[in-house]
Amino acid sequence: MSIIVITAIASLLIAGIFLAALIWSIKDGQYDDDFAPPNRILFDDKTTKHK
Amino acid sequence: MVNETSHIKTRCYHCGDECADSKLLIDDKRFCCSGCKLVYELLNENDLCTYYNLNEHPGRQQLNQKRKDKFAYLDKEEIAAQLINFADDQQVHITFSVPQMHCSSCLWLLENLEKLQPGILVSRVHFVNKEVFVVFDKKQTTLREVVETMAAVGYEPYLSMNTAKKERKSTHSRLVPIAISGFCFANIMMLSLPEYFSFTGYLHEKIGTAFRYIGLLLALPVFFYCAREFFSNALSSIKNKYLNIDSSIALAILLTFLRSLYNLFILDGNTYFDSMSGIVFFMLIGRWAQDRTQQSLIFDRDYKSFFPLAVNVKRNNGAEPVLIGNLREKDIIEVFDQDIIPADAVLAKGKALIDYSFVTGESLPKPIEPGSLIYAGGRQIGERIELMVLKKSDQGYLTNLWNKEENTASDNRKFLHRASNYFTIIVFALTLGSALFWLSKGQYNTMWNALTTTLIIACPCALLLADTFTNGNIMRILSRSGLFLKNSAVINDMAKVNHIVLDKTGTITLNKNFEISYRGKTLTDHEKMLISSLSRHSTHPLSKAIYHYLKPDTAITVDSFNNVPGKGIEGWIDDRHVKIGNRDFVQAGSVGDPAHSSKVFVWIDGRVPGVFELKNTYRNGLKDMLSDIRKRFSLSILSGDNHAEQLRLTKMTEGQAEILFDQSPEDKYNYISHLQAKGNIVLMAGDGLNDAGALRKSDVGIAVMEGNNSFTPASDGIISAHAFTRMYSLLKFTSRARRVLIFSFTISIIYNIIGLYFALQGLLAPVIAAILMPASTISIILITFGMTEWYGRKLIRVKT
Amino acid sequence: MELEKFSYDNRIPKLFAIATITWGVVGMLAGVIAAFQLAFPALNLGIEYTTFGRLRPVHTNAVIFAFVGNAIFTAVYYSLPRLLKTPMWNNTLSKIHFWGWQLIIVAAAITLLAGYTTSKEYAELEWPIDIAITVIWVIFGVNMMGTILTRRERHLYVAIWFYLASWVTVAMLHIVNSFELPYSALKSYSWFAGVQDALVQWWYGHNAVAFFLTTPFLGMMYYFLPKAANRPIYSYRLSIIHFWSLIFIYIWAGPHHLLYTALPEWAQALGTTLSLMLLLPSWGGMLNGLFTLRGAWDKVREDPVLKFIVVAVICYGMATFEGPMLSLKNVNAISHYSDWTVAHVHIGALGWNGFLTFGMLYWLLPRLFNTKLYSTKLATTHFLIGTLGIILYAVPMYWAAFRTYFMMSAFTPEGQLQYQFIDVVQSMVPFYALRGIGGTIYLIGVLLMVYNLIKTAKSGKFVAREEASAAPLTKTYTAPKKAHWHSLIERKPVMLLVLSFIAVAIGGLVEMVPTFLVKENVPTIASVKPYTPLELHGRDIYIKEGCNNCHTQMIRPFRYEVARYGDYSKAGEFVYDFPHLWGSKRTGPDLARIGGKYPDSWHFNHMLEPTSMAPGSVMPPYPWLFEKELNIGSTNSKIHAMRKLGVPYEKGYEAQAVADLKKQAQKISDNLAKEKIKIPSDREIVALIAYLQRLGTDIKASKISGK
Repeated sequence: MSIIVITAIASLLIAGIFLAALIWSIKDGQYDDDFAPPNRILFDDKTTKHK
Repeated sequence: MVNETSHIKTRCYHCGDECADSKLLIDDKRFCCSGCKLVYELLNENDLCTYYNLNEHPGRQQLNQKRKDKFAYLDKEEIAAQLINFADDQQVHITFSVPQMHCSSCLWLLENLEKLQPGILVSRVHFVNKEVFVVFDKKQTTLREVVETMAAVGYEPYLSMNTAKKERKSTHSRLVPIAISGFCFANIMMLSLPEYFSFTGYLHEKIGTAFRYIGLLLALPVFFYCAREFFSNALSSIKNKYLNIDSSIALAILLTFLRSLYNLFILDGNTYFDSMSGIVFFMLIGRWAQDRTQQSLIFDRDYKSFFPLAVNVKRNNGAEPVLIGNLREKDIIEVFDQDIIPADAVLAKGKALIDYSFVTGESLPKPIEPGSLIYAGGRQIGERIELMVLKKSDQGYLTNLWNKEENTASDNRKFLHRASNYFTIIVFALTLGSALFWLSKGQYNTMWNALTTTLIIACPCALLLADTFTNGNIMRILSRSGLFLKNSAVINDMAKVNHIVLDKTGTITLNKNFEISYRGKTLTDHEKMLISSLSRHSTHPLSKAIYHYLKPDTAITVDSFNNVPGKGIEGWIDDRHVKIGNRDFVQAGSVGDPAHSSKVFVWIDGRVPGVFELKNTYRNGLKDMLSDIRKRFSLSILSGDNHAEQLRLTKMTEGQAEILFDQSPEDKYNYISHLQAKGNIVLMAGDGLNDAGALRKSDVGIAVMEGNNSFTPASDGIISAHAFTRMYSLLKFTSRARRVLIFSFTISIIYNIIGLYFALQGLLAPVIAAILMPASTISIILITFGMTEWYGRKLIRVKT
Repeated sequence: MELEKFSYDNRIPKLFAIATITWGVVGMLAGVIAAFQLAFPALNLGIEYTTFGRLRPVHTNAVIFAFVGNAIFTAVYYSLPRLLKTPMWNNTLSKIHFWGWQLIIVAAAITLLAGYTTSKEYAELEWPIDIAITVIWVIFGVNMMGTILTRRERHLYVAIWFYLASWVTVAMLHIVNSFELPYSALKSYSWFAGVQDALVQWWYGHNAVAFFLTTPFLGMMYYFLPKAANRPIYSYRLSIIHFWSLIFIYIWAGPHHLLYTALPEWAQALGTTLSLMLLLPSWGGMLNGLFTLRGAWDKVREDPVLKFIVVAVICYGMATFEGPMLSLKNVNAISHYSDWTVAHVHIGALGWNGFLTFGMLYWLLPRLFNTKLYSTKLATTHFLIGTLGIILYAVPMYWAAFRTYFMMSAFTPEGQLQYQFIDVVQSMVPFYALRGIGGTIYLIGVLLMVYNLIKTAKSGKFVAREEASAAPLTKTYTAPKKAHWHSLIERKPVMLLVLSFIAVAIGGLVEMVPTFLVKENVPTIASVKPYTPLELHGRDIYIKEGCNNCHTQMIRPFRYEVARYGDYSKAGEFVYDFPHLWGSKRTGPDLARIGGKYPDSWHFNHMLEPTSMAPGSVMPPYPWLFEKELNIGSTNSKIHAMRKLGVPYEKGYEAQAVADLKKQAQKISDNLAKEKIKIPSDREIVALIAYLQRLGTDIKASKISGK
C-alpha cells in the first residue's frame, strides 16, 4: 500500500501549504476586522468621474 | 405653512432625531438642526449621497457647532508629530481613532474621504478598532484640513495624547501557535489512526513506520515552538523555588516526547506525539479563550485621554497652541465652549460656567466668579474664557487621584496555584514512587509504562482547562449581556464581593436627563412655544431638558438673546420679553440658592406664570435591582451632588443603604478604602472621572458606559448603561458559574484518580492513556460550557 | 501614489459565460440521451460511438469540466478583479486560458466518443489531453496569482481563498492521478495497479468533487449571494472558519468510496471518520448562506436570482448531509454500486452546481450588457421547472436504489437467491425512464434560460470594460512594529532550528518514498499471473467500450454478493490490473468471476445480441467487434509498457508475444467453430472473449490445485 504513503505525503504537503497560508493571513492581520470586508464588496467601484 | 407642517413629526434625514424646525429642509429632506443639514449639503455637492442609501439616518446629531479654529493647533509641527505614524517629504501616514463609526455608511464615507479633500490619497477603515488609516499628500493638504474635513462630515477624530501613543496588543502571537499545534495534532491523530484501528493487522509495518516518522516531523514544531510558553513558565517557576501548574505540563510534554522518540528509534513501537500535541493544543486554546477581551474597549484610560491634545496659550504675540504636557504655571490659556479645562487654573477673563458633572458628579453646571479656582476636567459652557494655569496638568487635583497608589490586583490564580502546587508535588511523588517500585522489581518495561502513563493521565491539563475554559466562557456570556471584564481575574474577585457602592449621577440616574414637573398657571401653546424657542438657544442641561419637555412643533427666531451664566437666559420673541432662569434672575433682588436649585422660573413680560421643577430620573428597574442587591450585599450610594435627592433615594432603598452627598472624588476614594479597612470586598460602580479614584481603589471597579463610544475611567470592567440594572443578576451568575469551576475540578480529579489507579500499576498502555487524556479533557470542556450556558441562559443578550 | 485609474475587462467573463451555457446544454443533452439508453438500449442507433459506455464519460466530463468548469472561470474572471481592485494580471493569459480550455473540451468529446479512455472516472481523458489540462491550469493559476500580487485591496475576501484552495488542490490531484505510461500516441496505462490505482482514483475522485464542484462554488456563493441580496454575509468570521476547517478535512476523506472493497480496513475507517467530520464545516457554510437572507425573504420571493441561489445552497446542505451518511459502512452497503450514488451526485450537480450557476448567470448578464433581465417571469418559470426536474430525477433513483438492494439481497427459505440479476434490471427500467424524463424537464428549463439570456443580451449593449480607480497598497499600512516573517525567524533561533529540522526531514521522506514503491506489499497470491497478450488486448477493448461504466469487478464480502457472483475479491487479485476496473455502478452484473462461467459461444452470442442470451437485458449489441480486426501491431509496445510498470513478462517476451496471441486466438475461434460459429481469429470479439474468460479464474485455479 505504498500509495497510501504517497497520497498521505501529497495531502500533507498541500495541507502544509495551506497552513503556511493560514499563518501568513493571521500575521498579516487579514482577520483583524470582520466587519469591513464583507461590507466593502457590496460598495460600487469608485468611478474616476470627479465633480 | 408653519401650521400645515406643524403636526407632522418628521425624522431628521441625517441623524433620525425628531425635527422640530420646519425651516430646515432641502429637496423635501428634513433636518433636526443646521449641523445635520450642513453635513448633508456637503455630501450632496460631492455626490456622496450613497452614504444615505446604504443605511437610514446613518449620521449622528450635529447640534453643537464646531469652532472654526478648533484644530488650529494641528498646524504646529511638534503637535502633529505626536499623532502621525510616518511621514516623508511628500506623504504623511496617520491612524485616527473615530469612535463615532457604527455602520457600513460610516465605513463607506470614511473610505471616500479623498472626494471631500483632494490631498487625501488613501483612507482605510479598521472597523473593529474604530480606526481610519489616512495617507495624504503634504503638498496638497495638511493634517488640520484632513481632520477638519472629517469633523465637517460628523466624524471628528478623537485626538489625545494617548491615542498618539496607543499600542494595541495583537492577538496574532496567540493564534499562530494554536493554528500550528491544532494542525499538527489533527494530522498526527490522523496518521495514528492505523495504530488505533490496527485490529485488522493489515497495516503493513512499512507504512506504520513511515507514518510514525511523519508524526515526528509534525510533532517537532509543536514541541519546540508551540510549547515554549509552558517550558519557559516552568523554568521561571523553578527559579523562584516553587512548582506552578505549568511545570507539570511541561514535564508531561517533555516525557511524552522523549518516550515517543525512544519508542520510535529504539523499540520501533507506538508513538504518542498525538497526545503530546493534543495537550499543547488544548492548553493554548484554553488560555486564548481566557485572555480574550473586547478589542474595541479600553480599560486603562488615564486622565490624559480625557484632556484635549493642546490649548491656545496667550503669548505676547497673540495665542499659540501648546501641548498640554508643556503647559507651565502662570500660562494664560484660552478655553472655548464645550472645551475641557486641561489644568487647574483660576478664571482670568470671561463668564465661566463649568460643568463638573464628569469630575465631581454634580449634575448642574457651576457659575465661577472671576479669580476663583477651576479644576481640570471641568467643561466650559458658553463663551470663550481665559484662565491662568496654576499647576501643570499632570499635578492637578484630579490627576493626583490617578497617581494614588494602585490597588494591588488580587492574583486570580492564587487558589488555582495553591491547588496545582500540591497537585503537582503529589503527581511527581506518585510517578517517582511507582517508577522506583517497578525498578526495584526489575521490571523496566512496566516502569516505563507507569512513568509515562502516570504523567500523561495525571497531567493537570484537565484541571487547568476547567479553569481557563470556564472563565473564558463566563466572560463571553457576561460580555454578551453587556458587562465587559478587563480579564478573568475580575471574575474571582466579583465572586467574593460583599459590599456594593454606587455612584449617583450618571450611574443610577440617567445623565443630563430630568423629570420635569411644571407648577403654576397652565401655559398656553403660544407661551410654551415662546419658552421652547428661547430654551433652544442654550446648551445648559436645564434649558435643553425644558426644550425636550415642551416638544415644540415649530420654533420662532429669538431677538437680542442674552445668556447670564449660572442664572438664566432671556430674549425677545414675537415682541414679547421672555426670561427663564433661577429665582433671583427672574425677580431681581429676591434671594435664593442659585447654585443648588434645580428650579427654573418662567418670566414673561413681567409676570411669573410658574416654575419648572427638575428631578434626576433614575434608570428604570433600579428600585428592584437595589432591593435585590440588599438581599446579598450591603449597599451604599455616593453622590457628588447636593442632598436634593436624599428623600427619594432613602425611599427607594427603604433606608437600608448608606447614602452620602456632596462627595468629592477624594471622599469617594477614602470611603472605599475605609470600607476595605473594615475587611469588606467592595464593588464600585461609577461613570465619571470623579469616580476614577474610587473605581481603582475598589476591589472591583465597574465603569458605566453610555452608548458604545463614550469614554470610561480606568476600571476592571465596563458595563453598558442598559445592562446596568441587571448588574445583580450578572453578579449572581458569576458566583454561580464559580461553582461550575469547582465541579469540573472535582470531575477532572476523579478522572485522574481512576486513570492513576491503572497507570501506577503499569496496566495502562500509553496509547490508551493518550486517547483517554484528550477524551477526559474534551468532556470537561463540554461540561463547563454546558453548565455555564445553562446558568447564563436567563441573562438576555445585549447588542453592543 | 495617486488614485490609479484602471478598468475591469468584461470580454473574458462574457466568453466564459457563453461557453458555460453552450456546454451546459450539450452536456445535459448527452446525459438525457444516456439516461434513456438505459431504458431503451436501441437508442444508440447501432452506432458504436453513441453506446452508453462511451456517452456516459462524455456526459460527466462535459458537465463537470465544461459546464461547471467554465462557470467557475466566469465567476473568477468577473469577481477576482473586482475583489482585488485591479484588472486580471495578463489578458493574453486569460485568452489562452479560455480558448485552450474550450479546445480541451472539444478534444475530450471527440476522443471519448472514439473510445480513447483511461477508464478512470472523471479522469477518462488520455495523456495528451491530461498534459494540455495541466498547462492550461497552470496558466490559469499564474494569471490568478499575478492578479493577487498586483492587487490594490489588501484584504483577500473569503471567496478568493476558496478559489485559491481549489486551484492548488486540483492541480495536485490531477497530476498525481494522471501518472500514466503512454504506449501509443493516444493510449497509456495507469502507473498504479489494482487496489493502489483504486485508492488514488477515489482519493482523486472524491477531492475532484470537493475542490472542483464544491469549494469554487462556495467561493461563488460568498461573492454572488451577498451581491444579489445586497447585504453582507451573515457572519464573516464563520465563513473564514468554514473555509479553513473545510480544506483541512476534505483532503483526507477520499477512501470512503471504497468501503467493503479490498482496501485496508483502517483506511476505510479513516475515510468514514473524516467524512463525518465534514458535516460540521459544510453545514456551517450552508447556514451562513441562508442566514444572510434572514429578514430579506421578501426579496427572495421576487428575485429569481435569489431563488436559484437559495435552492442551490439548500441542495448543498442536503448533499453534504447525505455524503457523510453514505460513508457509514452499513448505509454504504446499500448505496454502493446502486442508483443512490447517482441520485446523490445529481442533487449536487443539478441543485448545487446547476442552480448556483443559473443564479449567477441571471445576475451577471444584465450587468454585462448594462440592461434589465429580459423576462423575470420566464426566469421564475425556469426555476419552477428546474426544481420539478430535480425532484423527478432524484426520487425514482432513491426508490430504485432501495428496490435494487432488497431484490439483490432477497433469499428464498431454501437459501437460494430469490431473484435473478435480470429480474432486477427489468424492474429498474421504468425508474430509468422516469429519471430520463426528470432530466429532460430540467434541460427544458435550461433552454428557457438560454432564450431569456439571449433576449437580455440583445436588449442591452455590451460593456466591454468598466472604468474604476483605487489607490495602490501602502507599505506601512499595518503598524510599523509588525516585523516581516523572515526577520521574525532570525529573531527566534528556536523557530529557525525547527524549520531546518523539518526541511531535513522532508528530504529524508522524499528519499524513503522510492523504497516504498519498490517494496510492493500487497499480499501477492502465487497463482495470480499476468494477462496473456490476447487478454491484454481484450482488456483494452473492455476499457475502450467503457464496459466498466455498467459492470463492476469487485465482489464485496456479503452473502448475497458471494452467492451471486462467487468468492469476494482479494487485494492480491488485482496486482496486474493497470488500471483497476472495479467500477462504481452495477447496471449490469459483476464480472470479477465471469471467467469460465459460460462457454465462449455464450459470450459470442451475447455480445452480438444480448437479449438472445439474457432476455430483457438493457445492454446494447456490439456488432462492430465482430468486423474490426485486432490491432496486433501494438502488442509489443503494450507488453513493453506493462513490464516497465512491473508486470513480470520475462525479457524478450515481445518476440513471441504475437505468436502466443495468435495461438490463443486460434484456439478460441476453433472452440467456437465446434459450436457452428464461424469467426476469423483476428477479430476484436475474440480478444474480448479471451479476457472475459480469464476474469477471476486465477484464484479458482489455485483453489482447485489447493484441494
